Amino acid sequence: MTSKRAEFDVGWVLESISSYTWACIGIAIAISFSVLGAAWGMFITGASIVGAGVKAPRIKTKNLVSVIFCEAVAIYGIIIAIILVQNIDDTTPEDWLDNYNTYIFNGYCLFFAGLLTGMCNLACGICVGIVGSGAALADAQNGELFVRILVIEIFGSAIGLFGVIIAVLLGNNRKISSS
Amino acid sequence: MTDLAPAYSPFFGCMGAASAIVFASFGAAYGTAKSGIGIASMAVMKPDLIMKSIIPVVMAGILAIYGLVVAALIIGKIGSAPGYTLFDAFCHFAAGLSVGICGIAAGFAIGIVGDAGVRATAQQPRLFVGMILILIFGEVLGLYGFIVGVMLHLKVQS
Repeated sequence: MTSKRAEFDVGWVLESISSYTWACIGIAIAISFSVLGAAWGMFITGASIVGAGVKAPRIKTKNLVSVIFCEAVAIYGIIIAIILVQNIDDTTPEDWLDNYNTYIFNGYCLFFAGLLTGMCNLACGICVGIVGSGAALADAQNGELFVRILVIEIFGSAIGLFGVIIAVLLGNNRKISSS
Repeated sequence: MTDLAPAYSPFFGCMGAASAIVFASFGAAYGTAKSGIGIASMAVMKPDLIMKSIIPVVMAGILAIYGLVVAALIIGKIGSAPGYTLFDAFCHFAAGLSVGICGIAAGFAIGIVGDAGVRATAQQPRLFVGMILILIFGEVLGLYGFIVGVMLHLKVQS
């Protein structure tokens, strides 16, 4: 006796989604969330710089460094996205059947490499922005404080760099291509 | 491709590596930002205490390093099926989740205690040792996640 029952097969879903889908969504998340983090940090620190600059206009040039640290987060994202894009290309059906397991694996690797870059850079960008905001406000009070609070921003920037390191380890040379 | 090593097993291994570094980064970022605000605020009154007050920021950074180490260990062992079984995959997934979510928790603790601690230490210098003790207890939470993560990783033989 057979019965028709519903099947909830997670493994079938994971394998049926094309590896190209995984790879491309990973690339999109890498660049978009990195840029989102960078932008978020920039507006947090930028608002504080111009606000504190009303009474202390001397801070505006020095505190551009905080904005540049946020920009670096976006650069991390685009570097990883470009590295990941090199991995995908067209395949033939025979090639796909020959290397089925490898291509599925590479699709997952590219997805997670992109995802982790985007998320780490999102956190890093917001962190650098918040610390940069504090640095601008302290700098407006006392000009010597900026360089010492910059050390904290460098610690924050290292978080994005860790994400880049792991993304390169995970996503480098994971080719889904026939050539 | 067998039942023990289906083609989709690397998905969970990679998800473990990603969660290790992503969640630990969130915790480290929160710790850094929250303590950084406290340091920037108290630096106006007591500039000479800035370098001593960087300790919460360093401890938050160490949480990111825990995540980095576990993620790197996991990536060293992942591979495509059939060499990479579901057992390996889920061990790695659990390793990543444990270090990651413990990292977020520890990062929150270090951030909030660091913020309050540096502001209080600026006003009452005798509180510095107490703040360090509380921060160490917070850091140890991240270390527990790291230990469990490494133990789970070591179970993977391939």
